[in-house]
Amino acid sequence: MSRRYDSRTTIFSPEGRLYQVEYAMEAIGNAGSAIGILSKDGVVLVGEKKVTSKLLQTSTSTEKMYKIDDHIACAVAGIMSDANILINTARVQAQRYTFSYQEPMPVEQLVQSLCDTKQGYTQFGGLRPFGVSFLFAGWDKNYGFQLYMSDPSGNYGGWKAAAIGANNQAAQSMLKQDYKDDISREEAVQLALKVLSKTMDSTSLTSDKLELAEVFLSSSGKVKYEVCTPDALSKLLVKYGVTQPPAEA
Amino acid sequence: MSIFEYNGSALVAMVGKNCFAIASDRRLGVQLQTIATDFQRIFKIHDKLFLGLSGLGSDAQTLHQRLVFRHKLYQLREERDMKPETFASLVSAMLYEKRFGPYFVQPVIAGLGEDDKPFICTMDSIGAKELAKDFVVAGTASESLYGACESMFKPDMDHEELFETISQALVSSIDRDCLSGWGGHVYIVTPTEVTERILKGRMD
Repeated sequence: MSRRYDSRTTIFSPEGRLYQVEYAMEAIGNAGSAIGILSKDGVVLVGEKKVTSKLLQTSTSTEKMYKIDDHIACAVAGIMSDANILINTARVQAQRYTFSYQEPMPVEQLVQSLCDTKQGYTQFGGLRPFGVSFLFAGWDKNYGFQLYMSDPSGNYGGWKAAAIGANNQAAQSMLKQDYKDDISREEAVQLALKVLSKTMDSTSLTSDKLELAEVFLSSSGKVKYEVCTPDALSKLLVKYGVTQPPAEA
Repeated sequence: MSIFEYNGSALVAMVGKNCFAIASDRRLGVQLQTIATDFQRIFKIHDKLFLGLSGLGSDAQTLHQRLVFRHKLYQLREERDMKPETFASLVSAMLYEKRFGPYFVQPVIAGLGEDDKPFICTMDSIGAKELAKDFVVAGTASESLYGACESMFKPDMDHEELFETISQALVSSIDRDCLSGWGGHVYIVTPTEVTERILKGRMD
């Protein structure tokens, strides 16, 4: 019966649901997961790389983590091509704000602005929604470090810890158990890697299946967004016991 | 009075051996009245690229803000800094966009390009590029600056000698120009560091 209400994004079903939006969320549920954790001295983002083939040309570009502005970064889950469009939109919105007000765009404003764009695709134009969920990590002088999660409907929320993509329910409940309010950035990295290792399909984690990025304040007080190098990531995986160390000869 | 002479400005950039220098005066005036003595005309785009904007102060600030916008997006998308030659083309294109209602500025662009080779150029207010191998000048004191640079410049100076030369050329030229002055701002850029110095000249 719900078949009749599937094809147009811009109509409600009799039960008051927007099927296209829900189907978009289904698409994300099959994509590589990402976890974000807010700590008192930074925000940690970890992502599972779905595309790992030896044939893939490794470049310095990341697959899951993107910088939006000097003080805001995001992790994506879902259809990558849709994500690229939205990331570009977010970057331009951040620069437009800086041009007008000569100061960095507050994190929530950026998330709101991007979600307004996403919402437009659920109400008019007859175009399908974006099949992407985001985890935004950033710092501004009003509210310090923040973590936001947004989905294809254009809804967003501020979180202390959040998960998107495959097995996000399981990851979310694990985070709920182990998260502490005064967690440090190092402990947050450990927690994120542990949770991701439990929810990922593969048996043992290696640094080429993951991406780790952190948003924190450097010693000079400037916001820094850093993606962990594969070597450093391998060491962390061994340190926290979530990978098999290389077999001793 | 010409709109280019409304605020007063002096800009010069010089090429040295594996380094460059860019310098400006510090006066901001409203015709004959001086209203600021610490006005910034030289802006850092990234560690190896500097932009100086002479002419109308308001247009200089606005153009700089627009260029920051474009350069930041370039950095995010291409994941690298803009080369000076590319940046010069961008500035030229942006200025020509306003061909029939131009920005009243004369930019001076100085940077270290591929293999840290120094690059300088200037352009007119509608984007006509002029690449030079030795020095470029702009602003109300440009005629004096041409003379001073032509006589003081020699090729392949190291960064200390370059600093002395550009400072002397700047100070002697702005002393001859009533609309620029109140000291100087000099940046010396080598592949490894950027040195910023303030010069004290005739404070008038």
